[in-house]
Amino acid sequence: MIAAALPILYPRELLRSFGVLPVELWGPPGTKTAIADRWLQAYTCSIIRGGLAFLAGGGQDHADIILVPHGCDSLQGLGSVLLDFPVLSKPALSFYHPRTRSRASVDYLEAEIESLAEELQKITGREATDALEATIREEEADSVLAKLLAGRLQVALSCRDYYRLVRCREYLPAEQFTALARPWLSSESGPSSAMPVLLSGVVPEPSGLLDALNEAGAVVVADDTIACGRRLTPEGRDQSAYRRMAERMASAPPCPTRGASVEERSRHLLDLAKRSGAKAVVFAVVKFCEPELFQLPLLKTALERAGLRTTILEVDVTEPLPQQLKTRMEALLETMS
Amino acid sequence: MSAAGRLRYLFGVHIAGRAALRFERLRSEHKMRSRESWRHRHLERPLDVSPRLKELISRHYLTGRYANGARKVAWVTSGAPIEVLTALNIFPIYPENHGAVCGIRRTAEEYCKHAEAAGYSRDLCSYARTDIGSILSGKTPVGRLPRPDVLICCTNICQTVLYWYQVLAHHFGVPLVIIDTPFLYREAPSHAVAFVKNQIEDSIPVLERIAGRSLSHGRLRDVTRMSRDACELWLRIVESGRMKPSPITAFDQFIHLAPIVEMRGHRYTVDYYASMLRELNTRVGRGMGALKDERKRLLWDNLPIWFRVRWLGDLLAERGVSLVASTYTNAWAELADMIDPERPLDSCASVYLHPILNRGTGHKLETMKRMIDYYEVDGVLLHSDRSCKPYSIGQLPQRESLSSEAGVPALLIEADHNDPRSFSEEQVRNRLDAFLEVLGV
Ligand code: SF4
Ligand code: SF4
Repeated sequence: MIAAALPILYPRELLRSFGVLPVELWGPPGTKTAIADRWLQAYTCSIIRGGLAFLAGGGQDHADIILVPHGCDSLQGLGSVLLDFPVLSKPALSFYHPRTRSRASVDYLEAEIESLAEELQKITGREATDALEATIREEEADSVLAKLLAGRLQVALSCRDYYRLVRCREYLPAEQFTALARPWLSSESGPSSAMPVLLSGVVPEPSGLLDALNEAGAVVVADDTIACGRRLTPEGRDQSAYRRMAERMASAPPCPTRGASVEERSRHLLDLAKRSGAKAVVFAVVKFCEPELFQLPLLKTALERAGLRTTILEVDVTEPLPQQLKTRMEALLETMS
Repeated sequence: MSAAGRLRYLFGVHIAGRAALRFERLRSEHKMRSRESWRHRHLERPLDVSPRLKELISRHYLTGRYANGARKVAWVTSGAPIEVLTALNIFPIYPENHGAVCGIRRTAEEYCKHAEAAGYSRDLCSYARTDIGSILSGKTPVGRLPRPDVLICCTNICQTVLYWYQVLAHHFGVPLVIIDTPFLYREAPSHAVAFVKNQIEDSIPVLERIAGRSLSHGRLRDVTRMSRDACELWLRIVESGRMKPSPITAFDQFIHLAPIVEMRGHRYTVDYYASMLRELNTRVGRGMGALKDERKRLLWDNLPIWFRVRWLGDLLAERGVSLVASTYTNAWAELADMIDPERPLDSCASVYLHPILNRGTGHKLETMKRMIDYYEVDGVLLHSDRSCKPYSIGQLPQRESLSSEAGVPALLIEADHNDPRSFSEEQVRNRLDAFLEVLGV
């Protein structure tokens, strides 16, 4: 079975233990969103509108389940509309990630995972099998992904191709992703750049953004996007599968969609920049994305105070990169060269 | 807390301030009584309790003005569990209500621009922009807001407040207490109730430290009882909109809502609403409506358009249309029977998980359908609020269902609760005209 999974964080391993493969929808790029106008106002972000338009326009035929985790007010609205109105023909599921980090949050997450398991059982008509093994497979895949993201300069690919590889994690089974990505960890001669950039924001889209960076001589050397770097969940320790899934999710890198403060995020970004040698931060922010937009003024100030250059590009993931944003990015890179 | 601060507080609030406000109220009451005739062509005269409302709100902000140095201050979200704070004598300030005051007084746009100049996107909630802009510019129409000693953010209205309060925490450098209330797509699961209760319990020692005193459970029970009594009275007040003609409009409710949000848990709030209810009952007894000629009745969904409340009220009144109920003001009424003073913390966890904004779009549709029947309305106005996504997403399928299942026409009005730049008077007027024509007025 296939679950069309909307952003952001959910227990992949749980779905796999029910024989369900999550395939994620971040846009998708190029989707015509007009069909979503029937259910969503124009002031919802392009990830939500694109996701719904893609599913309603026929994409749902390839899925058995629609999973809408609760990552923000807009995902909340979309999930609720899909649960309560006959918009799509496939069953919808939701999942609430707590906004605080404490023992009580991990307890809550564990119970929420159990509730999701009950729902999956009803839909799939089967019990979860080998949940702990499935968890360990996801941990391996995340560990390979973490190394891939940390060792960007050892990977001899353009930024577009590099992210094509990284983002296979969004739809391949964990074991296939691990097998595909692992060989890249041992390659030794990647791109060198006088302009190393940290990419933050929501998702590395539109892909024209990556091309524009490379054309200007810059390379993304570190990632803090919601879709990639901010979902690197570490290994858990508990031997009970659901507790371990909860532990993992609760330890993901700081993201406002899980309640992280500006201070936590700026510390994390400065650390990423230091480790990767990034000299500038490009925020690829999706228009109308409140969790990102709220923190940007303070983040920008903190990063610039530490000597990093920054730029904010407000994008629509379903549209190509506008020339004006390309120019803005080039202007930033010129100041670095 | 300094002796000088306390003295200033005592004099400014309890002696000079109260006397001045009381004098002002008596003057207004006298003016209302002596006014020969109320001259509005379509609206009946305002409620006699109105000067008392003004006095209550002014006193609240006056207390705030002198609070620093005399009392601990918390800035809180509108859905935050306030009872523990009140029982600890911590003074609450509601940035959302302050935002609404700025909207009504037409200063919000200026503050929003300040926030935008500092990098806060125009796509963010206009309450948040108003508040941040007011802080950055140091301007407010209420004189002065006290600095917070602590921030309390409850996510039961939206996630937006969490990001907004993080900005405030950064700016003021004070602790932020988060009460995270998982969104209820369906019935509340027991683990969500337990999670919320746990957080409320964890917040108590933090607040006790700030307040410099221990929480008295007897006092908490009393405050919770006052909260429940006020919510019950508010419920009966909004339900009086059921009468024909309705003695109150949703526009009146928007204004009279302030005490139930800001001053729950106090005897004076209960007394105020008891007087208001008595007056409404008297009006009902006399067959006196809020409109002189009520011809059609509508339900309102979402926040008010604060900077156009009067304009919209007049426009509808001219056509004999009374806005008799709203999902927004109903939100502080519908949970009254869940509040249990004998189990303050348990009931607190349940109550604060269940506001309409923390429940699914289907639940809101059902609420609207119930209200359509109960208030016997002829149509629904859905305010599609550009910068309040949690309230607005879902209105499009809701509108379809209202027409097809509830059999009432529903109009979507594109606007914003606090930012006049997202409002086109001409467009709204044209759409309303066409809608009212369908209703036959
Ligand atoms: S881009 Fe932002 S607003 Fe849109 S779904 Fe993602 S987190 Fe939510
Ligand atoms: S987004 Fe809506 S619910 Fe949240 S603070 Fe703003 S107006 Fe209130």
